[in-house]
Amino acid sequence: MLEAQNLHKSFAAHRVLKGVSISVHPGEIQVLIGLNGSGKTTLQRVLTGILEPDQGTVSIGGQDITALPPEDRRIGYVPQHTALFKHLTVRENILYPLRNGRGSEETFHEIVKLLSLEPYLEWKPHKLSGGFRARVALARALVSAPRVMLLDEPITEVDRAKKEYILPLFREVLLQLNIPVLYITHDPWEAGQIGTSFLVMKDGIINRIDSPEEAFALIREQARINGE
Amino acid sequence: MRKVSIWEVLFVPLFFLLIVYPVLAIIGNVTMEGMIKTFDDPIFWDAVKNTLVTAFFAALLGVLMALGFGYFYIFHPGTIVYKIADFMNDLPIALPHTVAGLALLLAFGRNMFGFIGPTGLAFTLVAVVLAMFFVSYPLAARTIASAAEEIDMEQINVARTLGDNPQKAYQRVVIPLLGEAIFSGFVLSFSRSISEFAAVIMFGGNVPGMTQVLASYVFTKVEEGEVSMAVTASAFCILLSLMLVVILRMREKLHARSAESA
Repeated sequence: MLEAQNLHKSFAAHRVLKGVSISVHPGEIQVLIGLNGSGKTTLQRVLTGILEPDQGTVSIGGQDITALPPEDRRIGYVPQHTALFKHLTVRENILYPLRNGRGSEETFHEIVKLLSLEPYLEWKPHKLSGGFRARVALARALVSAPRVMLLDEPITEVDRAKKEYILPLFREVLLQLNIPVLYITHDPWEAGQIGTSFLVMKDGIINRIDSPEEAFALIREQARINGE
Repeated sequence: MRKVSIWEVLFVPLFFLLIVYPVLAIIGNVTMEGMIKTFDDPIFWDAVKNTLVTAFFAALLGVLMALGFGYFYIFHPGTIVYKIADFMNDLPIALPHTVAGLALLLAFGRNMFGFIGPTGLAFTLVAVVLAMFFVSYPLAARTIASAAEEIDMEQINVARTLGDNPQKAYQRVVIPLLGEAIFSGFVLSFSRSISEFAAVIMFGGNVPGMTQVLASYVFTKVEEGEVSMAVTASAFCILLSLMLVVILRMREKLHARSAESA
């Protein structure tokens, strides 16, 4: 289980995380829905270990990983805009974790097949469409044999029509892993397509909701308050 | 008819008078006698060899150091080491190079490094390399830092989550992406090194056949009244510099073309 307890993070006088707590169980795809500026990227950075929290703890399977650097956390991370390594081919990108003794050739072949990436293995990332770049980023994270998956708006570059195809594929693959998955997005529709449980983040605070539709109302209210 | 701007009127005559004309003055004064005397002079070829070898090692050291600076820039920008290094990058640009040469002489000369030899490191080829490095390193560091600024930090973050520590992420992700900047930093550093005179002569000396470089060879020939040889050596320097500029421009064009096709 991925667990975060009472996370606080401030930048100078600006409090971004105000006591955030989450718990994600194996086999669950928990979607965190939040507007831009709600603190979801800061939360992602604290969970992956890029940022240290001012207060609070992060644990995986009962092990406190708050003090561990990103390389020792074993969190499979798929960022916004995919961040594929431009100088490497698709194959080299996906096999990257093997350089650090993570994953195996066998897993690589399985995942490549599952995500229909075989024809593109020798391509450089810039030649791929947004959807295929997202698949490669997902494959790269999956090959690293993660204990937890964290996806931060991974299909921003994909248009709506293609999202309707790619989201069920991602959902199927992620559910097969049977590990905790945290999926961050600002789009309640996207949340509904992929998630099994839902959270809303507003002003550095998280609330659990029963369906993504509830997020629409909360986000509309937030936008009205912000005058958007 | 096109209306000529005041800036064109200002720029064109001044550019030709102050930049192109002095260069042409060297080329125009090259004589056959000067060429024969210079190219027959083994000391000239020693100076050419010294210049190329020392500038190569100064640029190599400059790029290695600049990559170290780039590492601090990416992973430890808040540290005191980075802040001092960043501040000091501009120092050699503002400092008279005679002062830089004197500083190196005091730091690595016989007083502090007398255990190496009677003059310490001074008046050796190593001193020439260090003098060239001191004045050219900031160019490499600035080139690499500005390229590092363009790198998507998320690529580094992802590499970290895939098991890379900062050093591995730097070597496997950042350095390959800095390829073009490393090349430009090297060529700029090399170019600046071959043109250095004051710091080299103060710390490396001007011993013909030993620590003399092209810039100090030209100076010596003018002092000896061998102006035709000084002119020939200067024309050789101009040719060398033009070659470097052409290489840099060609590489930039190739890079721009490959970026466009991407």
